[in-house]
Amino acid sequence: MTEASQGRKPEDAAEEDLRLIERVLGGDRQAFEALVRSHERRVFRVTLAVLGQVEDAEDAMQETFIKAYRHLKQFRRESRFTTWLTRIAVNEALQRRQSRKDYLPLDESSSAQQQKFPRRFEPWAADPENLYTKQELRELVEKAIRSLSGIYREALILCDVEGMSAKEAAEVLGVNVAALKSRLLRARLMMRDALSASLEQSRPLARRVVDTAAEVKNMMGMMVMRVARRQG
Amino acid sequence: MRMLTCEEVLANLSNYFDGECSAELRAQLEDHISKCRRCRVVFDSTGKMLKILVDVEPFEVPLVVSARLYSRLQKVLSEE
Repeated sequence: MTEASQGRKPEDAAEEDLRLIERVLGGDRQAFEALVRSHERRVFRVTLAVLGQVEDAEDAMQETFIKAYRHLKQFRRESRFTTWLTRIAVNEALQRRQSRKDYLPLDESSSAQQQKFPRRFEPWAADPENLYTKQELRELVEKAIRSLSGIYREALILCDVEGMSAKEAAEVLGVNVAALKSRLLRARLMMRDALSASLEQSRPLARRVVDTAAEVKNMMGMMVMRVARRQG
Repeated sequence: MRMLTCEEVLANLSNYFDGECSAELRAQLEDHISKCRRCRVVFDSTGKMLKILVDVEPFEVPLVVSARLYSRLQKVLSEE
């Protein structure tokens, strides 16, 4: 579970992390499991953002936690444990991505996916989160994130989901802040456009019309069958 | 106050949401947004999108993936 889903404030979660770390360093393995539970989703999300495939993200996640356990003594309390762990996860995922035989670094200047300008200008619904269940909305968001290339996906996840600053994200990804900010802006524009189709004011109505048309067609089909049965 | 162009407004979209612009620039951006429908739509929907990204907590760890993680950790930790 994430800090948010546990309803904990980040500072409370950070203090709890420190208590667990003390116990792990004292030989309590169960405390490490508790530490993993509160961070597995973040680590999975980060490795998935960099690698794009669940299988690869899973391997990177396992290695991240093994490395974290083995190097826990080296954790300096100058930064939060979350930041330290995220750095390990990103490094692990980046190394795996670079060693892939089919890996081609994306040339941002010639990338077909680069988007400097928004493409859709219809207003969104006043409260788009009311249009769908949380699960439906999550699926829409995940589909949109998956449609982004790696460099945009990782910038978006680190900054807009994990809450890192552009400076922190640039540092863990090994790029300069200006490059990270440029990727983040494009990622946000692409995400906005990708989600617009489902969240614009006019779309739910259009969706309702399509759904209603399907229902009417269905009902008419059933009526025709009933009449045919009676006549037969 | 100089009216910003749409391109200048767009270039500062991230700075606006990340709280990285001066009070003067913020006022200029908000002035433009109040007068330009297209930029207003882009800013409004970007703000909503950023909130949704946090609220939906994307990408749950699949149960089998989680189970394999704990199984591997148990094995590795017991060997340490």
